[in-house]
Amino acid sequence: MTQPAEQHGSMTLSEGKQTPGGEREFMLDVRTSDLEVNMGPQHPATHGVMRVLIRCDGELVTGAQPHLGYLHRCAEKIGENVEWLQYLPYTDRYDYLAAMNNNLGYSMAVEKLMECEIPRRAELIRMICAELNRIGSHLIAFGTYGIDLGAFTPFLYMFREREWMMALFEKICGARLTYSYIRIGGVFNDAPPGWFSEVERFCDVFDKAWQEYYDLLAVNQIFVKRTADVGVISPEMAFDFGATGPMLRGSGIDFDLRRDMPYSLYGEAYAAGAFQVPIGKGEMGTLGDCWDRVWVRAVEMAESVKIVRWCLDQVEPGPVIADIPKTLRIPPGEAYVGIENPRGELGHYVVSDGGKIAVRCRVRGPSFVNLAVLEELLPGTFLADAVAIIGSTDIVVGETDR
Amino acid sequence: MDFHAIHDHLKAVGAPGLEGADEPRPEDKKAKDKGRFGDPFLIVDPQQLRQFLHVCRDDPKLKFEIAADLTATDPAKDDENLWINVQLLSVTHRHRLAIKCLLPKSAPSLPTTVPVYRTCQWHEREAAEMYGITFVGHPDPRNILLPDDWVGHPLRKDYEFPEEYHGISCK
Repeated sequence: MTQPAEQHGSMTLSEGKQTPGGEREFMLDVRTSDLEVNMGPQHPATHGVMRVLIRCDGELVTGAQPHLGYLHRCAEKIGENVEWLQYLPYTDRYDYLAAMNNNLGYSMAVEKLMECEIPRRAELIRMICAELNRIGSHLIAFGTYGIDLGAFTPFLYMFREREWMMALFEKICGARLTYSYIRIGGVFNDAPPGWFSEVERFCDVFDKAWQEYYDLLAVNQIFVKRTADVGVISPEMAFDFGATGPMLRGSGIDFDLRRDMPYSLYGEAYAAGAFQVPIGKGEMGTLGDCWDRVWVRAVEMAESVKIVRWCLDQVEPGPVIADIPKTLRIPPGEAYVGIENPRGELGHYVVSDGGKIAVRCRVRGPSFVNLAVLEELLPGTFLADAVAIIGSTDIVVGETDR
Repeated sequence: MDFHAIHDHLKAVGAPGLEGADEPRPEDKKAKDKGRFGDPFLIVDPQQLRQFLHVCRDDPKLKFEIAADLTATDPAKDDENLWINVQLLSVTHRHRLAIKCLLPKSAPSLPTTVPVYRTCQWHEREAAEMYGITFVGHPDPRNILLPDDWVGHPLRKDYEFPEEYHGISCK
């Protein structure tokens, strides 16, 4: 799927344009042209159906243009046509690797309009689920990034723990990927007997496994060579492009919504010293390179385990859902809630006119926003690094297109 | 800073286009007012939105480095305005600000905000295709999620679903 783009490079020595380096001069007689290469829509490194139109001059990328929309499923339009609670399963389906976080973001936006109080036990179960889901999501991000760069084995190890995490979710809500478990007002049902102790066992095993992954992939010399100094996002650029989550922290900016604009019980957990926020330091190369972003994700998994442990200590018996009617009529008004999804700030902007159906149900997907940086980042890099850069943004195409 | 402090500060520095504020109020059964819930927001003139965002970004007391979201809303079929909703986030001061612009449906056009926040480039493309809004001066005004030949603006309340697309029945 290649086609010649505009002709250039037809200059010859006779035109009197010479390069300073004498050894390249014989090249000037060669007619070259830029090539436009379609990376996708079914390229493994795009992790979904997305196409990046790359223009390259030999091995050098001179331009990149992401084309989205292949997975557009009109989530926002559907939100204006179904009842408040009926929309919840659709939230599972934009970022399908972090469905618990999506449920949480949407529920919190609606709860903000309702001004309802969530039982403490429900908040703790929500946090456990959201953090376990973050671990699962980062395992995929970390593992598939290895595949993108040619290291297949770590991915298989990571799926071992992810499988257990999904089995835990299956026990609590019956679904492995699209949970719809966190509901408006709390969670759908209480955890089954023995669930919390199994989560605790998972944490114990995961702590050891995490060290394995870290040694196997993150500090692997081949991996470091492929990712350090590649795709550097400066802090100014991260701000300008609205990058959030690991993309922002990878550029050395110390900002995490869970700590800095706390929601649920994260503020309490941080005050109790339950977790830290890892930020990129440019340890292996330049600050804000691909390695920093991947490192932030890797360390975040270990921090998530600490949050889960803190929650397990706090859990007490009690109700898991607030007393809300079956058919919800949400008071008129509008609310925006942004939460820390594994990929960045997941924002839900909801508008109600007091009825059973939303007037507006906007989703601000972090993948969509973080992806825009590619147009700026890819030109000037090598074609082989394009895969490393796209993989390091950790996009889920279901969310960019919604 | 909380919402009131931000509003007062913007008034004090004379931010261009600032028209007022809208805050939540409780339900009043006597006056048959259902109230308004959720977030407070500022109302800004859409034609001066870019200059307003410039102040928000560069003022040392506000420092909204990140435009978290820019989108549009069609409140009702018979409403004569569209809304432009902007959500700003300050990493330095850890505060947020919601902005709303009322844009008449008869002339849905406003200057682009891309020179202030480049992240708005994709948000504006999405708002443009979904609501038929023209962002004057946008560097790349193509469709982003919809096909290039899509007819109509799907998130408008008066949008009519197509009966077929390239010979594929949509019924």
